[in-house]
Amino acid sequence: MARQATDAVVEDEAASKPELSMQRLRRRNRIEIWLFLIPAALFQLIWGWYPVVMAFGISFTDAQPILPSTFTGLASYIRVWKDPLVAQAFRVTFIYATLSIGLTFVLPIIIAIFLTELPPRLMRWLMILWFLPISAIANTIIWRYLYNSQYGLLQYITTELLHIPYQAFLNDPNLVLFWLVFPSIVVIGPGVAGLAYMAALQGVPRSYYEAAEIEGAGFWRKIWTISLPRLRPIIVVLLIYGIIQGLQEYAWPQIMTGGEPEGASRTIVMYLYDYIENQRYSDATALAIYLFITIFIIIVALRIFVKEDPDA
Amino acid sequence: MVLFPKVGRKQLKVRLAWWLMVGLLCFGVLTHLFPFYIMIVTSITPAAETLSTTPTLWTFHPTLAAWKLIFQWTANTGQGALIAGSAAEPFWVYFWNSFFMTSVTLIVSIPIVSMAAYATSKLLRGPLARWTFMYFIATLMVPFAVTLLPSLLLVNFFPFALPYGSIPNLPGTYQPFPTASFVDTLWAIIIPGIFNAYNYLIFKGYFDTIPNSILQAARVDGGSEFNIFRRIVFPMSIPVYAVIAWIQFSAVWDSFLWPQLVIQSNSKAPTSLAIYTLMNDFVNSGIMDRATALSHDAAMQAALASGLSWNGLMVLGLLQTLPIFIVFILCREYLLRGVRIQGLK
Repeated sequence: MARQATDAVVEDEAASKPELSMQRLRRRNRIEIWLFLIPAALFQLIWGWYPVVMAFGISFTDAQPILPSTFTGLASYIRVWKDPLVAQAFRVTFIYATLSIGLTFVLPIIIAIFLTELPPRLMRWLMILWFLPISAIANTIIWRYLYNSQYGLLQYITTELLHIPYQAFLNDPNLVLFWLVFPSIVVIGPGVAGLAYMAALQGVPRSYYEAAEIEGAGFWRKIWTISLPRLRPIIVVLLIYGIIQGLQEYAWPQIMTGGEPEGASRTIVMYLYDYIENQRYSDATALAIYLFITIFIIIVALRIFVKEDPDA
Repeated sequence: MVLFPKVGRKQLKVRLAWWLMVGLLCFGVLTHLFPFYIMIVTSITPAAETLSTTPTLWTFHPTLAAWKLIFQWTANTGQGALIAGSAAEPFWVYFWNSFFMTSVTLIVSIPIVSMAAYATSKLLRGPLARWTFMYFIATLMVPFAVTLLPSLLLVNFFPFALPYGSIPNLPGTYQPFPTASFVDTLWAIIIPGIFNAYNYLIFKGYFDTIPNSILQAARVDGGSEFNIFRRIVFPMSIPVYAVIAWIQFSAVWDSFLWPQLVIQSNSKAPTSLAIYTLMNDFVNSGIMDRATALSHDAAMQAALASGLSWNGLMVLGLLQTLPIFIVFILCREYLLRGVRIQGLK
């Protein structure tokens, strides 16, 4: 009995010793963990959260540049709502985003599926060529050259080769948005999205395809029932990302046309930039918050209508 | 090869379909490389030919005049793109600015973001981990347009994201709080870009896939968490670092909206702004009509007189693309090397 008691006491001591050093280890680790996090947390606080909160704050004042601001409630929101150029900017942005996503979203998926089909060596070479990067700024130089109404290549094709009357291309108020999207249709490229698709496709076990083939599935049926469902979560994420970026398009229309002709290609963020240049700060933040609400509604609607993947 | 039927592979129909697919892919590659081709060919075309109304896809009089012009131009002071209101700079200044802002952003941002993602993924537990994750990515829901103006005000009147009139006074006096302004410096581009929530999300997604057993084994062997990160997790994650470095380099090198807001003088402008201004000046100067060009600035006069045309702009475009190209090749090497190491597991 006594022996059992001493055994128990010895066991207790042995058990508590690692306990103590574990505590000391945990305390030292906790400081280290916070060191990992603090720089990022600080930058996120100052440049992520603080501007968002202040945007809301500024939009409810009249944001005088020199004199102190006064709280004006929803006056900026009403003024932005009534601005006809804002309505035009929203219309332009919606059409541009719809064209851009509708016409350029599907092809990278098909290209990624085809590329994964190839034998490894051919795939490596074609991948290098397909993913070869070009600077977006250099792209604007090239396409402004090609779109020139007097000596551009596209004008030559339409008037000489196709014998269609003189096209105003980027100066045409009705078609300018189509011409802005046209380069991304013609110059096919999978882009970073294509990388994500290919990575996901390489994770599909061969046995799925072989089983489908035994069942009698053809080429397209295999794609529809195996590849596409596997890509579905990535497609949804990239679609949402594409919508958010498309509705905030700035650099491409600004460099190509600068909003000509007469606002026919002026997107919301381009008009926001004009507001900032003219020091209409409260209108700028109100417009940005209208954009935020719009994007929010679209994303929520997308989430409701696109059902959750039952197999995920 | 999984989509094609295994059994009838030598049949004519299947072989035709296979070659059709390969053919389509190769044709697509041609359309993808078309802009490159235009850039290179136009840069060696003589200036008069670039403006001719019957454009050709090849030139019979290749000349390196545009290249010489650009490089001479970059060496002379007093000639270069103009941002209205400040003196022009030689072009290498713009390239140096772009290079500086991109490399500093990458060097500072990637360690900070990846270590925070690692901590959220592996070092924290339970509700604290979830709240930290939310703290870092909840701002993704807000489009960047909302933060444009407050960030600009913050750069102008750090630490207040308010217009000048609203800055509160020092308590008890009529003096406004002292503010620091770093507008019109490259730091105004670098500092807001350090924490990038998209990169954080990708890093965290990857670190989540590392099995905990590896880390627990490392902890038993002792050593600080930082050493575990440096010696074990980081070599395993090189592909992700390569992809993030590539994406962020392209994004910052070509960034246009934010530099346009914060940079006001030529000596701090990156190449994206300089090329934009130059191209606009060039197109608006009406190449066909030299008379209206008289109303434009001396630098543009000198440039046009020495023969600047689209071929020179294409040279600039090639110089703009070259660093992205180099980083692409480098990152592809690291990406493949990392994937190969993981394959040996």
